[in-house]
Amino acid sequence: MGYGPQQVRSRADIRARGGLLTAAFSRLFQAVLTALAASVIVWSLLPLAPGDVATRVLLARGVNDPTAAEIAAAHDALGLNNPLPVQFFQWLGHVLQGDFGQSFTSQASVTQEILERLPATLMLLGLALVFSVVFSVILALLAAAYQDRWPDQLIRAYTQIGAAFPTFVFALLALTFVVVGFQMGQVLSDVTWRAALIPAFIIGLDRAASWTQLLRAGLLQAMNSGYAEVARTRGASERRILLRYALPNAILPFLTAIGVSVGALIGGAPLIEAIFTWPGLGAYLLEALSARNYPVIQAYVLIAALSYVTAAFLVDLAALLLDPRLREVGK
Amino acid sequence: MSFSFDLTRPPSISQRMSRHLLGQLWRHKSGRVGLILGLFLFVFAMIGFVWTPHDPNVPHYISALKAPSFAHPFGTDATGRDMLSRSLDGAHRSLGAALLVLSAVFLIGLLIGTAAGVIGGVVDMLLMRVVDIAMTLPGLVLAFAVLGILGPGFVNLLIALIIADWAWYARLARSLALGARSKPHVTAAKLAGISQWRIVLGHIFPGVALQLGVVASLALGGMIGAISGFSFLGLGVQPPHAEWGALLADSRLYFALAPWLLIVPAGFIFLSVLSANLVGNALRDVAGQETIA
Repeated sequence: MGYGPQQVRSRADIRARGGLLTAAFSRLFQAVLTALAASVIVWSLLPLAPGDVATRVLLARGVNDPTAAEIAAAHDALGLNNPLPVQFFQWLGHVLQGDFGQSFTSQASVTQEILERLPATLMLLGLALVFSVVFSVILALLAAAYQDRWPDQLIRAYTQIGAAFPTFVFALLALTFVVVGFQMGQVLSDVTWRAALIPAFIIGLDRAASWTQLLRAGLLQAMNSGYAEVARTRGASERRILLRYALPNAILPFLTAIGVSVGALIGGAPLIEAIFTWPGLGAYLLEALSARNYPVIQAYVLIAALSYVTAAFLVDLAALLLDPRLREVGK
Repeated sequence: MSFSFDLTRPPSISQRMSRHLLGQLWRHKSGRVGLILGLFLFVFAMIGFVWTPHDPNVPHYISALKAPSFAHPFGTDATGRDMLSRSLDGAHRSLGAALLVLSAVFLIGLLIGTAAGVIGGVVDMLLMRVVDIAMTLPGLVLAFAVLGILGPGFVNLLIALIIADWAWYARLARSLALGARSKPHVTAAKLAGISQWRIVLGHIFPGVALQLGVVASLALGGMIGAISGFSFLGLGVQPPHAEWGALLADSRLYFALAPWLLIVPAGFIFLSVLSANLVGNALRDVAGQETIA
């Protein structure tokens, strides 16, 4: 499934705007607009949520039975009597200064609690991303090099089976039968790179299945294209065609797919962290969801949205750098 | 691609396709495997909807954690509930919910997207800005946000997934509708003096619906996974009701002791996603050449 803004611009579009820098800046502008729209959605969670905000905040501060006067005072103090746009900009101002407010349950600063958990999530997801990219590039190259012979058939079987396992089901099976069964690693993990290795490997193996399919198809298409045929007639080896001609051409759609998948990876973090009992942001969100702890939910959604926008932007930049066709001027 | 310009009976993609689609899927090798598997799961869910060998929700502690046997082909869980009955009962929730959400986003996307593409102008611009805003968050994250407002629950999960996904289909339907306006059979219909309404309903709409349907069918596997995933987290189907993801969550602590509690629900989820993927890919192969190309 694909989400998010259009990733790669058409050549004519770039030409009209002219050059790498212009293209990059126009994309940056889009990214900022997207981030702003996302922050409107995130902020609107609070006014949309059922129940009175001031009462929730007072309960969080330990005022168990707030009087009408206390609630009215809290309304004033929290700026809840201001018009909604004013409230939004007040909220945005706080967020830009890194202040997500006070947790409804622990009464601590949400920013502080997020910062304690963010490294764990980044570690696990980052390592999983590296694993899945490495696996899928190697497997797709192998499959394309040995098309329709046994390595290709084996890899195709793996991609079909892997794509049919939702990541969490695959993780549960691997955890039960491989990790626990053979007593590898700790299941109750503390946050170290060593502990992140096995979960990241499992996630990477599952995610790589669909990416391998995509990259393999792109490689085969490029191998059958006109320019590959020309190179072949000029005596280039199949290996050279695969690595020097097909790979650079097939890698662009693959990059775009990775950028989009970062969103899915972040969205899947709560599930993954619940399975590996990993104390990251996802686990924090789940606690907050069951407690209706809105500031935490807001912070999570905004961080997820920003990482997604950033990933999409970086992928676009990489595409601009890798593919000269995307930044050609004039002609 | 060839188009017949028989103006007395203009070519209707939907009529031609629906007649041949099932047959073509059947001739497609992996499509046939997917269809048979899907039919089996459909019948399984239908049986589970009306009948289960034991009560799926009533605990029977004396027969807790029994391995598969003749009386309990899939064993029993930690409270002695029959896993076959719970799998049967859960099937219509897992599969039905995925189909329901996909049908809803398909219909919403189709109507809004086609309307935007065909009407154009201010309507198009306004609708697409709403779509843009809805698409700023990754789907799963938006679903979590909506669940944060509505609270956990099966119906709320379905609402959240619909809100998370519709915009994507609307944008696709719009670009398909825009593309369809310049296709030869639409131009031919215009030249023949057929009214605007008939062109939209009879010549643009069916093609857009078919192409969008192919895309939706490719997303079915992911949707089954998402629904069981949210239920696994306790955000979807609530106990004691059975759902394949929820079954996994119920028995997490006993997997090492009683592996059938893991294998049975995981197997059902795997087979459904596999079936959906096979049929979806075959559908893309079959319908793709004629319409999407």
